[in-house]
Amino acid sequence: MTVPFETISSLAKQLDAGHVSSRELVEDAIARTERLNPELNAVIALDKPGALAAAEKADKARADGATSPLLGVPMLHKDIFCTRDVQTSCASKMLADFVPPYDATVVKNLDDAGMVSLGKCNMDEFAMGSSNETSFFGAVKNPWDFNRVPGGSSGGSAAAVAAGLAPLATGTDTGGSIRQPAALCGITGLKPTYGRVSRYGMIAFASSMDQAGPMARTAEDCALVLNAMAGHDPLDSTCADISVPDYSAGLEQSIEGLRVGIPKEFFSSHLNDGVAATVSAAIKELEADGAVIVDVSLPSTDLGVSTYYVIAPAEASANLSRYDGVRYGYRCDSPSDLQDLYLRSRTEGFGKEVKRRILIGTFTLSAASYDQYFMKAQQVRRLIAEEYQSVLKDVDVIAGPSAPNTAFILNDDSKSITDMYMEDVFTIGANLAGLPAISIPAGLVDGLPVGMQLIGSRFGEAQLLNIAHQFQRRTDWHSLSPNLEGLTR
Amino acid sequence: MTDAATVRDVAALARLVISDQDIENATAEFNQILALFDALSTADTTNVAPMINPLDSAQRLRGDGIETLVDRAGLMQNAPASEKDYFLVPRVLE
Repeated sequence: MTVPFETISSLAKQLDAGHVSSRELVEDAIARTERLNPELNAVIALDKPGALAAAEKADKARADGATSPLLGVPMLHKDIFCTRDVQTSCASKMLADFVPPYDATVVKNLDDAGMVSLGKCNMDEFAMGSSNETSFFGAVKNPWDFNRVPGGSSGGSAAAVAAGLAPLATGTDTGGSIRQPAALCGITGLKPTYGRVSRYGMIAFASSMDQAGPMARTAEDCALVLNAMAGHDPLDSTCADISVPDYSAGLEQSIEGLRVGIPKEFFSSHLNDGVAATVSAAIKELEADGAVIVDVSLPSTDLGVSTYYVIAPAEASANLSRYDGVRYGYRCDSPSDLQDLYLRSRTEGFGKEVKRRILIGTFTLSAASYDQYFMKAQQVRRLIAEEYQSVLKDVDVIAGPSAPNTAFILNDDSKSITDMYMEDVFTIGANLAGLPAISIPAGLVDGLPVGMQLIGSRFGEAQLLNIAHQFQRRTDWHSLSPNLEGLTR
Repeated sequence: MTDAATVRDVAALARLVISDQDIENATAEFNQILALFDALSTADTTNVAPMINPLDSAQRLRGDGIETLVDRAGLMQNAPASEKDYFLVPRVLE
């Protein structure tokens, strides 16, 4: 049986027809992961007993008459979601031995829908990175070119789906961490509106921007999964109490007459020429499908990077203060006193990028810098959010590139810290403004995937999924998969 | 621009240690990132309220009732050092 690049909707039909069982799908996924992952490094915890038991439970439920589009379909979780009795490390030495006694709400919701978790995906440590090179467990490789990064921070999730280890992986997106790796690995990734999906049990990075979402092969699959992921959760006070529509119901609607705004700042000097040409061609496909293309402006786009890299590290420095070596997580050997315990546990337990961001965040929150940096960034955040809101009064969605470049070379020392931060320039705005956004495969440049990003109004996920689905009916970029057979062991 | 002494002070506040061999590089990186933030000063934020939450909404609170979300034993399993229901740390009082 070979089903590595099937979609969820296709697998659901095969399961319903009895052509395949969940147990067979799970065994196949485990075998493929064991064969490819030593090179790929996308998966850092494989829960074989748990997955097989869940698959058998799903098969029994189906035999007993249960139906659900997700029942028995295998998937992977980014290792940022707490999974009861299964390692949850956030790809950090700090949490390398942490085994949560509870499930994140996202995990519970997908379990309740009958999905079968195979295990946990690698990621940038504490979701801080755009290349997946900051993981304590080593870098993930891009399935399209093993010398290149998969993007980050949900790089393991993106690489796993692109390599056909599972049709779905969960991701989280604080500044582009679903959309940028989705773009670089040639898959579809949706960051919902802030508050659409519960953050309970999702290890915190920057609490005012963190949001979970699906990473899959198609918009149709993202809709199926968002139906189960989204909804109010009393355990997350920022989770919106707004009803969840059926995201699959409107996928087939025509996009005739929809207004698509193209910000000129998204086609600036930051953008690689090949990516620009590819995304421009994709926008023409939307136009050919009846959409009305409108030139718009988001003049504060570049300011978004400065704003984000003040706010996110500030929130991270507060969130990560909980890792003190006392209640859980890494503790240094033989601490001489309590201060020594704190200092050495944190210094030894956190990686370089995490410590860099904690330092910057601690600095911008200090009394001497608070007004100049933190308060100023919060004000600029409002200006940026208002720019988006203003543009979205005139157009239905905003379109542009997901990332300025295709996947870059692993361990590229020529890239400075701020060069790396600029990789997020087109994705950060949606996080600062709390808007939903999706990245969909739009073409290839030199054999590497390019993503087109669509940004919508608050709680406008259904419209984004509709447009993305219609694009995927006209094009087959989402159906392409990397050739891994030469790399299999 | 900030200096090594300030970076060391910030590290102490964050309960992190920067070694003597790393401090020069850490300070240079720190200043590289602060230079990125200089762009913020170009924005006119007169009378602009800070945006703390992207939905600009009050957070919803649960009712003030007692409930058990996670059992105590499960939480204690992850303690680096514990005795009975207590976390162990180095002696604080002599």
